[in-house]
Amino acid sequence: MPFDLVTVTVPATAGHLAVLRTAVGGFAARDQFTLDQVDDLRMAVEEAAVQLLRHSRGERIAMEVETTTGGVQVRLAGDVEPGDPVIDETSFSWTILRALADDLRIESAGTRATIVLDKRRLVDAGVAAPDGR
Amino acid sequence: MSNEERRAHTKTLFRELRETNNPATRDELATLHLPLVEYLAKRFKDRGEPLDDLIQVGSVGLLKAIDRFDLGREVEFSTYATPTIVGELKRYFRDKGWAVRVPRRLQELSLRLNKLVAQLTQDLGRSPTVPELAKAAGVSEDEVLEALESGQAYSTTSLDAPSGEDDDAPMRMDRIGEEDLRLDNLEYFASLAPLIEQLPERERTILYLRFFKGMTQSKIAEHVGISQMHVSRLLTRILEFLREGMEGTAEY
Repeated sequence: MPFDLVTVTVPATAGHLAVLRTAVGGFAARDQFTLDQVDDLRMAVEEAAVQLLRHSRGERIAMEVETTTGGVQVRLAGDVEPGDPVIDETSFSWTILRALADDLRIESAGTRATIVLDKRRLVDAGVAAPDGR
Repeated sequence: MSNEERRAHTKTLFRELRETNNPATRDELATLHLPLVEYLAKRFKDRGEPLDDLIQVGSVGLLKAIDRFDLGREVEFSTYATPTIVGELKRYFRDKGWAVRVPRRLQELSLRLNKLVAQLTQDLGRSPTVPELAKAAGVSEDEVLEALESGQAYSTTSLDAPSGEDDDAPMRMDRIGEEDLRLDNLEYFASLAPLIEQLPERERTILYLRFFKGMTQSKIAEHVGISQMHVSRLLTRILEFLREGMEGTAEY
């Protein structure tokens, strides 16, 4: 099961955010995260997606959820104005995301902005990662 | 009739009722306290049910309270009856909410899981994972997921009872230090301050503890005296409210 990857792409509209939230919740619940953490991830994805949506100039928002050695990484990407930071570090959104994720960063490449969230598992998944960890 | 007179009259009627068991006395007590039912029912009126129906439901709670009230208690009848009436109204919404969307099998599992989550959280010192819950409940992981998801689906349309001092799941303020309640950090976000002010105190505290104190949902649940799932629902709703509020008009 380690290093599973789920990819979901939705239209950049508010109505589709629930799909992202549900997908990440289902993924994390099946991946040994505690219920608290599953909820954290759902809320984090929703918050990040809302911000991305507000800044989006594109038609789609793409989410990748991937198991990492110690947890899960969620990458939410969309097209924005070049140089748009999407989430200001002094904003309430940033504070929320910092509280919900163990690690948070935003990667920009041209018009492509990606919000990267990492969440570490509290409970050992009981399956060794292929690289032996 | 003044409040004073109403209280005295209530006592007299209760004494009479306990001695005679006269149905007419019981009816008189009910009529006397109907305004309380109306007042409480109005607090639930924005949930798509006719007020008359709510008053009917609340009256059932009132009658239960009349039958159970013990004159030897040092509390006023209205204080005693309020949680029973509110409880009846909440149950009505709960049953209705479930009945429409969720099969009984899942309702039961979901309620059972709610209890198990609390128990496991205490045993483990953290919230449980789905496999742990499945093992404790003796069902498959998929069944647990299904039940949890049905609970989520339900919670987006249903609402929790209004919070207030007469809520039957009162906030345990004694367990929260003065310092925790200072909301300086929250108010730092100037645009949010007016919205946060609209939140009931319990919701404000939950928001603060989760996002500024970094407390987990389970710990908050313990602190505030409600279930983790309830905390989860409230947090989701609070964030939704704040987001909508920043865009325009929102009402909590």
